[in-house]
Amino acid sequence: MLNDILLLNKKHEGAARTILDRVIQELTPKYIITISGEVETGKCEVAHMLGRLLKKEGIGLKLLHMDNYYKIAPLERNDWRRRHGIDSVGYNEYDWEVVSRTLKGFREGKLTTLPCVDLFTGQIDQLTTNFAGIQVLIIEGLYSVKIEEANLKVFIEQTYRDTIEEQKLSGKEELDDFRMQILEREHQVVQSLKPLADFYLDFDTSSEIFHY
Amino acid sequence: MLGDVLLIGEKHENAAKIILPHILKNRKNKYIIAISGESGSGKTELSHVIARMLRKEGIICKPIHIDNYYRIHPLERTEWRKAHGIETAVGLGEYDWDTIYRNIDDFRNDMISTMPCIDLVTEQVDHLTTDFKGIEMIIVDGLYAIHTEGVDLRIFIELTYHETKKAQVVRGKEPQNEYRMHVLEREHQVVQSLRDKADIFINKEYQVVTAR
Repeated sequence: MLNDILLLNKKHEGAARTILDRVIQELTPKYIITISGEVETGKCEVAHMLGRLLKKEGIGLKLLHMDNYYKIAPLERNDWRRRHGIDSVGYNEYDWEVVSRTLKGFREGKLTTLPCVDLFTGQIDQLTTNFAGIQVLIIEGLYSVKIEEANLKVFIEQTYRDTIEEQKLSGKEELDDFRMQILEREHQVVQSLKPLADFYLDFDTSSEIFHY
Repeated sequence: MLGDVLLIGEKHENAAKIILPHILKNRKNKYIIAISGESGSGKTELSHVIARMLRKEGIICKPIHIDNYYRIHPLERTEWRKAHGIETAVGLGEYDWDTIYRNIDDFRNDMISTMPCIDLVTEQVDHLTTDFKGIEMIIVDGLYAIHTEGVDLRIFIELTYHETKKAQVVRGKEPQNEYRMHVLEREHQVVQSLRDKADIFINKEYQVVTAR
């Protein structure tokens, strides 16, 4: 993802360290971690911090953002969703074939081309990267927990309503009725996938508890 | 550039607001803006904010970071500089100008173009393929960006590394060490030698000043 903005803080680092401990314990070659949760709950931030920590440990890794894998480009997505109805919002919006191709490239340690959205131009650029020597793949995104072959499936326990309360969303975008409907629908889909996860992160700042 | 950390502040927003009318006044298709300044002076932040404001004006603008265009891979750069001596090694010759001009030509000609794209988390050099069709402007930022020929608007940030030492530590980009300070001093000399090329200056208080 190009031109995205991250807001990194201690809670992301703390969460990333908790995940790191687990990863180091059970690391196998070509290890896949997914980080899922609702919009603006800090998935990308946790992924980024975890990436930095793994690099410090000398472990080759790559971050993948599922937002790059939507079949419909960002600028056309709203119209498309309006035309197809709110039920079209969900994990079938991802291009799973392209996701599989990227995962195959990672497993085989090959030069691989993947989509990379530029948030300024709204275009889907193509990024070519070499997976040779890359041991860990961190995949973050609303529905990344659907990737069955992942070794560790992290789920962030926050809802979009919490995010709205923290004014994180309203600072970034206009929340009109249609956007609220989408957020509600994404919430339902993400929560329905929650049982697939095996590592639950709770950002409840009063307790700072991370549980398995 | 993937995985870069930006610290966008009010000063960047304010400077961009003053620069925006200059750009709009001279608006034309295939307009090129360049931003130079020393390490930690806020080039990428300013570039990001300007591109975002242009987007609001309906202008599609793609930021291009010249840090992607070093001929020597990030992981090998220090060793390479040590082998060649700071005076000879550090400077304009470190950029791969052929690739820079090839990408700029592709931008001018609405072509599909492939450019280097460094992943700062992994320090890998990936390649990004983008279609410049419909991209109205590019903003090139980097130490020596205003050295680029054929640029329409050149912006120079006057903060030196002496003033931004703190900013660098805060950004946590790299540990301060003596060798790094020598490099910064040499970069400082080269960047300052380009100063006269600028059309717009951002002074040490981050105020925008137009040249003559």
